[in-house]
Amino acid sequence: MTDVNVPDIGDFKEVEVIEVLVKAGDTIAAEQSLITVESDKATMEIPAPGAGVVRELRVKVGDKVSQGSPILVLDEARGDAAKPAAAPAPAPAAPAPAPAPAAPAPAPAASSAAGPMTVKVPDIGDFKDVAVIEVLVKPGDTVAPEQSLITVESDKATMEIPSPAAGKVMQVRIKVGDKVSEGSTILELEAEGGAPARPQAKPSGTEPEPVAQPQAPAPQRPPVPVAPREAVQAKPHASPSVRKFARELGVDLARVKGSGPKGRILHGDVQAFVKGALAAAPAAAPAARGGGMPFNLPAWPDVDFAKFGPIEAKPLTRLQKLSGPNLHRNWVSIPHVTQFDEADITDLEAFRKANTAETEKQGFKLTMLAFLVKACVTALRQHANLNSSLDRGGENLILKKYYNIGVAVDTVDGLVVPVVRDADRKGVFDVARELAEVSRLARDKKLKPGDMQGGTFSISSLGGIGGTAFTPIINAPEVAILGVSRSVLRPVWNGKDFAPRLMLPLSLSYDHRVIDGAAAARFTSYLASVLADIRRSLL
Amino acid sequence: MAELDCDVVVLGAGPGGYSAAFRAADLGLKTVLVERYPTLGGVCLNVGCIPSKALLHTAAVMDAARALGEHGIVFGEPKVDIAKLRAFKDKVVGKLTGGLAAMAKMRKVTVVQGVGAFTGANQLAVEGKDKATVRFKNAIIAAGSQSAKLPFLPDDPRIVDSTGALELKSAPKKLLIIGGGIIGLEMGTVYSTLGARLDVVEMMDGLMLGADRDLVAVWQKFNAKRFDRVMLKSKTTKAEATKGGIRVAFEGQETQTYDLLLVSVGRVPNGKRIGADRAGVKVDERGFVPVDSQMRTNVPHIYAIGDIAGNPMLAHKAVHEGHVAAEAAAGHKSHFDARVVPSVAYTDPEIAWVGLTEDEAKKAGTKIGVAKFPWSASGRAIANARDEGFTKLVFDAESHRILGGGIVGTGAGDLISELALAVEMGADATDIGKTIHPHPTLSESVGFAAELFEGVCTDLPPQKKK
Repeated sequence: MTDVNVPDIGDFKEVEVIEVLVKAGDTIAAEQSLITVESDKATMEIPAPGAGVVRELRVKVGDKVSQGSPILVLDEARGDAAKPAAAPAPAPAAPAPAPAPAAPAPAPAASSAAGPMTVKVPDIGDFKDVAVIEVLVKPGDTVAPEQSLITVESDKATMEIPSPAAGKVMQVRIKVGDKVSEGSTILELEAEGGAPARPQAKPSGTEPEPVAQPQAPAPQRPPVPVAPREAVQAKPHASPSVRKFARELGVDLARVKGSGPKGRILHGDVQAFVKGALAAAPAAAPAARGGGMPFNLPAWPDVDFAKFGPIEAKPLTRLQKLSGPNLHRNWVSIPHVTQFDEADITDLEAFRKANTAETEKQGFKLTMLAFLVKACVTALRQHANLNSSLDRGGENLILKKYYNIGVAVDTVDGLVVPVVRDADRKGVFDVARELAEVSRLARDKKLKPGDMQGGTFSISSLGGIGGTAFTPIINAPEVAILGVSRSVLRPVWNGKDFAPRLMLPLSLSYDHRVIDGAAAARFTSYLASVLADIRRSLL
Repeated sequence: MAELDCDVVVLGAGPGGYSAAFRAADLGLKTVLVERYPTLGGVCLNVGCIPSKALLHTAAVMDAARALGEHGIVFGEPKVDIAKLRAFKDKVVGKLTGGLAAMAKMRKVTVVQGVGAFTGANQLAVEGKDKATVRFKNAIIAAGSQSAKLPFLPDDPRIVDSTGALELKSAPKKLLIIGGGIIGLEMGTVYSTLGARLDVVEMMDGLMLGADRDLVAVWQKFNAKRFDRVMLKSKTTKAEATKGGIRVAFEGQETQTYDLLLVSVGRVPNGKRIGADRAGVKVDERGFVPVDSQMRTNVPHIYAIGDIAGNPMLAHKAVHEGHVAAEAAAGHKSHFDARVVPSVAYTDPEIAWVGLTEDEAKKAGTKIGVAKFPWSASGRAIANARDEGFTKLVFDAESHRILGGGIVGTGAGDLISELALAVEMGADATDIGKTIHPHPTLSESVGFAAELFEGVCTDLPPQKKK
């Protein structure tokens, strides 16, 4: 029997167990995820160090764990055919001194070269020390080029890192929870030469398939004299009376800083924490389940929905959990006003249609969104205040001399906003091609954090779906966002009679601290005029 | 049949149950307490902690008197009037249970005598001396546990559980304790002092599991003279009632004949005997009722506390849980968040421990530091002629905060409270060492152990610099 403890999970301590993925009696494989933990930065799954049968669970949802905290007791598999014979285990943190001399220094990462190679984290933008949240391969696996090896997560997004070549994984040098940057070693790959051969033709025939044999049932449970006591380490340094007081106020003592001797949390510290939480209302962003709200509002209604009919609890996706608090912050801390307008795009649509055949030959669609990006750049050049941010002190407006347009993309996991950089220097075709590319990356979860940074203005288009207008939330620290709804053919008075015109509804949400209503109205009407006659963008 | 309506019904009047009922009544709730026996107090007061301590105290004084021979004070062989001893024990119990009945009355808690079982989510039926239907807004299940039975043992008055052993019907010459836990060894101590030779048979590979082995080793050495056979990793396979005694066969051991068998193989929660399913309350396969930190079962207005709510099965844990449940039922934001529950074996010497034990820490790979102060360096222990014990503190290696500790020696059960308080308060070694402990006392050993950990103890030979 082995005790399975929390491995080195980086700097994180006291992270909460949000999910227990196995139960006593389960037969598990090496590297199978056992529990999911969540810090304030990220969630990560902790894998099994080996195969076997779970004898006893030592954690439950809600427990706080750190490196070394017990997770479970494992009856190791014996005679498990799946276990690699390479004796010294996949040594998680074996500090294998200098892997370089061991391998006879092959040319690194020549993707077609056969032989051993070290796969490193490629350029992932500005990000450093991002956490590995998933390891998707294990030693012995055969991988194809572009097959995802690991998933990393920054505070903005998750991203899968693909294999540069085909080959067989010899050794994985990384584990869930590790922090990686560009150049960190991921694994050792025995690369295949040339054509990526299909993995392992299985010998069909006489050889008996190694069946995963069910482990012998746990021996008769002996009378346990005392339940395993909760580990008492690293709990907040507070006496029972202070803990009781905190309970009554709903204060999580892990977040309170103690002012007593050796950091002991005193009565007064809890009071001060509550006062501080009430004062720092906008940043607080309480979740629906939390008790207190900022602004001294009444508590969130606590309704037992199941009383009124059947319900189902569906967990938020990781992306939703990450973006929710940001959206909430933007919504409560920016004074939003939304300006509505509409643009006559009859001619533009005709122009777009006339040119689609050509782009489709090149393999992408010429979308209205591509024209919108260009039109917005033109309008932003004329209205510099909308291409800006407030500085941190709120004293200055930072006007940006570059035009990076964020475009909201809907994915199954939630919303992401990749950025088209230097849109002012790109043609409509280039923009259209790039939009197609980033949308695909977004949907495949392959966007790099850098792809979502540096935006100066955002567009959220619901034109493909419907609606007449909406009020988008500004993507801070930008100061405006353009919402686009579905265009409709309407009769428009042209002075003599009603003519059928294709009208595109525009909804511009702006930060009223920076932009006043007149400026916003001037921006949308100018934008409408550009869209009505795209030649204006040349002027 | 009586029909009662109440805010809270408490099922079971053991330490947890009566504490819950009294607390609920003090909070202004209309409270009904259902108990199947005629007296309140449950196993603990009637057939457990209290009567066993009355006997253990008697035994300890007898042993102490005998030991005075070494100091030149010789008494004659004690004359044992077992009927009178039994009467003393019963008087102790009567005094306490009588006190409880009076306090229940003062609090206007309605006591209903009979076996209670749920008949619905808000209703409970009582059958027995009193017959009643109790309709409740909240219920607190405090129905406790009972001794586990060994099915292969014959029905014979010479085979008893802890309750039977406390009845003190005879003074056996040869006693077999089946199950080497605290309860069996406490009762064994009593019978041994009254003249019995002891054998103990235990399935696992140690006595008093749960306590650190070094603590138990001290007790075992001191008590070796009481035992003929300590059979570890052994099983009883057969027992046969004969005229001359109970013949017992063991796996891999010689067959023996005993005057009395004490069966102490653990306790089984009573979760399956309370009609829980009719109230929708979940009971696990072992008979425990799962609860949250407010002691709520899966049915939010029904609580469970004490033995039935989970290990450790200890009265002092039940009392605290009872208070939490009563307060939660009254709408308070009470939670059970005690960090540690102390355990005590009232043997001679006593063994007590609390929080993280050294053995557990080692198994879990926790980084700890341990300081052990031997009582052979304690003036008071030497003066008492009982210097076999020691006091051990377990600290977090980095922060020096105390995580737990264990004490073996006379009065260890009383000394352990300081360690429990220290853990709850988050004290570190310096806090404990700088607290002035009166001299000369056994409690000093706690302060000395903390000083030892910090390298500032002057009551031991100089330590090597860390």
